[in-house]
Amino acid sequence: MPTWFAKQFGENKSAAVAAAGQQGDGQSAPGPVTPRQRRVIHAPLLASASAVATGNGIRIKAQIDSAEQQVVLMVDRPVLEGYSYWCTSPAEAAKWSPLALALFDSGGVATVLIHENNITVTHQDIGQASDDGVARHLGQLVRGHLESGAPAMAEGFLATMPSEDQVKEALQVVIDDEVNPGIAAHSGEITLTAVKGNTAYIKMGGGCQGCAASSVTLRQGVEQSFRSAVPQLGALLDETDHAAGRNPFFSAAPGGLGA
Amino acid sequence: MPRLETIEVAIETGKRALDGVPAYAINGHELEFDEVSGGKGPGESMRLVGSPRSFPHSLTLTGPDSGCWDIEKIEATFHVSGGDPYTVCLGAVTLDEETCLNLWYDRPPQLLDV
Repeated sequence: MPTWFAKQFGENKSAAVAAAGQQGDGQSAPGPVTPRQRRVIHAPLLASASAVATGNGIRIKAQIDSAEQQVVLMVDRPVLEGYSYWCTSPAEAAKWSPLALALFDSGGVATVLIHENNITVTHQDIGQASDDGVARHLGQLVRGHLESGAPAMAEGFLATMPSEDQVKEALQVVIDDEVNPGIAAHSGEITLTAVKGNTAYIKMGGGCQGCAASSVTLRQGVEQSFRSAVPQLGALLDETDHAAGRNPFFSAAPGGLGA
Repeated sequence: MPRLETIEVAIETGKRALDGVPAYAINGHELEFDEVSGGKGPGESMRLVGSPRSFPHSLTLTGPDSGCWDIEKIEATFHVSGGDPYTVCLGAVTLDEETCLNLWYDRPPQLLDV
């Protein structure tokens, strides 16, 4: 270790590395060593380019997920505060959301989720030729709708909402009777962490945490059961930190970098 | 998963400084950084460069040997094979002798003004 380095940063780490690498002949061996187990924590990820209101004009940023055929439109102001709205057909949209109906009428839209500042649109053309073009078209449509003064949601939408306690109770029954018994074979479990308005927050634990198939379990299993039990359910958000814990994705093999 | 050739980490320390040498772990194996410059004292910033040259299933910044290390901000720049470098910015966090900080992030999704 250079003198300047030792002075500036101390010798503790190198001493520990050398001690751990000590061989039977008393010679230290260079190279990596397996450190003591530490708990992995996460720092907040700072958004560098989220939509922030700067004036009267409506700013919208789009984030494209080609694999999920989705585009998330992030509007610089709330579109639906305190609640969320999810719909899968123009007929449903015609009842409760002029904005969702406008999106469906533009063609190719499969689902619309409106939650706070975000509008998530599943579109059949995402993942095909020009994702950017689809995103720009949808963004212009949303901006035009909002700037026209037309409401995002129909009058009376909130009156149809069950109370948070009713939503919690209904979802907990589904979790206890249907979901958790079903995923127990994989040592998994789902916990309902909160309900805000008609938005549900869950965490996936046990074998589900960090599992590569967890998103499939959530979207094709849990979500469908939840929506059957609570048709007014809006967003279903997974709060699981799938990368937390002691390397849930991976256990290091002794003596190798695992590459 | 891309191969991570080198990682540059700029760290702004808060009130409590790091006790020990800055180190990182890739796939559970701890390594020292190849280059260390700047200061690790309270309010100082340091720049660290590591060359894991591997496929990171996990990549963590090791906590201090003792006490707590207050980090105000981190900018991690990833140089991956077959792609342009990208940078991720992280906010305040405190590490201790029981913890390490996740440093591995995929390339952030592109945001478009639409």
